[in-house]
Amino acid sequence: MSDASTPGDVEPSHDHEHHHEGPGYATPQAAIEEGEREELAYVMGLYVGTDVDAPDFVSVVDLDPDSDTYCEIVDRIELPNRGDELHHFGWNACSSSCHMDGLERRHLIVPGQRSSRIHVIDAQDRRNPELETVIEPEEVFEYDLSAPHTVHCIPDGEILISMLGDADGELPGGFLELNEDFEIEGRWEPPGEIEMNYDYWYQPRQNVMVSSEWAAPKTYYPGFDLEDVEEGNYGQRLHFWDWEAGTVEQTIDLGEEGLIPLEVRFLHTPESTHGFVGAALSSNIFHFWRDESAADGDGEYRAEKVIDFESREHDDWDMPVPALPTDILISMDDRYLFGSNWLHGEVWMYDISDPSNPRRADSLSVGGTFGEVQEVQGRELAAGPQMIQLSLDGERLYWTTSLFSSWDDQFYPEESERGSVMLKADVDPRKGTMELDEDFLVDWGECPAGPARAHEIRWPDGDCTSDVWQ
Amino acid sequence: MTSHDVTLEWPDGRTRTVEVDENETILEAAECDGSVLPYGCRTGACGTCSGRLLEVEGTRPPNSERAGDGDADVCAVDDAVAYRRLPRALKDRHRAAGYVLLCIASPRADCRIEVGSSVHSELVDNPWK
Ligand code: FES
Repeated sequence: MSDASTPGDVEPSHDHEHHHEGPGYATPQAAIEEGEREELAYVMGLYVGTDVDAPDFVSVVDLDPDSDTYCEIVDRIELPNRGDELHHFGWNACSSSCHMDGLERRHLIVPGQRSSRIHVIDAQDRRNPELETVIEPEEVFEYDLSAPHTVHCIPDGEILISMLGDADGELPGGFLELNEDFEIEGRWEPPGEIEMNYDYWYQPRQNVMVSSEWAAPKTYYPGFDLEDVEEGNYGQRLHFWDWEAGTVEQTIDLGEEGLIPLEVRFLHTPESTHGFVGAALSSNIFHFWRDESAADGDGEYRAEKVIDFESREHDDWDMPVPALPTDILISMDDRYLFGSNWLHGEVWMYDISDPSNPRRADSLSVGGTFGEVQEVQGRELAAGPQMIQLSLDGERLYWTTSLFSSWDDQFYPEESERGSVMLKADVDPRKGTMELDEDFLVDWGECPAGPARAHEIRWPDGDCTSDVWQ
Repeated sequence: MTSHDVTLEWPDGRTRTVEVDENETILEAAECDGSVLPYGCRTGACGTCSGRLLEVEGTRPPNSERAGDGDADVCAVDDAVAYRRLPRALKDRHRAAGYVLLCIASPRADCRIEVGSSVHSELVDNPWK
């Protein structure tokens, strides 16, 4: 798994003097300084669960303000099948492989959450990517896994995908490994290490990986049902893994205040053991870190609730409405934590200079159930802020509005008729403020086959939710 | 091979009758016939392909109400379709109310089924509203 023994290779060092020939940037600071302004975005577009007779697609969005097609979907890579539910995706290589001569950040790995089909897209031509390979669901089911979620490359050119269920859509989930030719290598971990799975992030310099929990596919696929919460079918644990061995070293039960821990992020600084996870259903953000003095000096991870979003009363709702923070993100300089409260309709930023005491910097009330801004350029928003992505320099925050097709239908049924939008806020990292850019609007309601939903966002050259450093 | 007439009914009033063999799924037969039905996992886990049984061979509907009703007649549903695998996406209350996963269900009688993406969205409501 590690290439550290390869002759001629240089051990990763704290001052990062190893040669930089591969993809990405040598350090997070280099990404900020050397990265160019994002001119394109890849965004998941989907029709699954609607009667629109078209497959899901990868949207290429023009983000260059000087371009004639600014804010337009300039290309759509249609996939061969309907029913995939494109959700999260990732690159074949990121900054974790920046020492790997010859490896390129070139292929997008695009799984179908519902179908378990895995697409490989060649994005060498950044404006006109092409579908290259498809791994069919049956090949995935052979490893008794289904419901692919988070894609990260691992530093030697291989790809690791968190899988939420077994071949029948029940527990346990696990991890599927692809080799550099995009073939299934096998299961990455010994089966049975975890029951539930969702997102994960690794910090190779600390030999640690952390994974979170949603539920069994058969539980969350049809929609959100309170009965499942009562029956304990939703997750509330974080798992800390030995990254080299692929085994769980420690599990932390976050309790009732940590129900449905979704997106999980370590700080970008590769030495750091601090990170955050958003517990969507309980609407809390937890800070986790390694306490070196714990366990009689052996060290142990700890987790503590550091942000608590209160439910709000709404005249048209019978019960107080939870905030539902469904996505979080850490700026490349590790100074700010951003997030989206999908039900309330809020994007927020907290100063995490002291990670155990996040300080609210600013927020925007937009979309959702309570947002002060309910339309942009005359376009009704129809849902709350959901997947977020930040420019490398931390000055532009973008977001889309779809969570998961069946959950969208429950909470924002109009979104299936109107489609999703992508919005943007201008961020001032020095002052810690955000301002909605009312000139920016990308509309999936206008797609040729009919209104589509939009989900995760990636930049062609690395972003705040996928790049890891060795 | 025995086959049955399955009439698909969309919310906009369109209907289409498809002859479905006992060893093929209703979704497969509808696709061969050129009808577009929603689906996702095709393994019985996601519910995207849900249809709702309206009538079995001219008998009364299994249940005239939506999901959540208690007084349902599961027998009529079980008489109408056989499943290839466990219908994991459906809870007892859904099955009792006549919901059927068309990706894994094969007919055992002539029947009428409500189809389209709106059927799936009936399975669960917004619990806070
Ligand atoms: S397509 Fe998923 S249950 Fe039928």
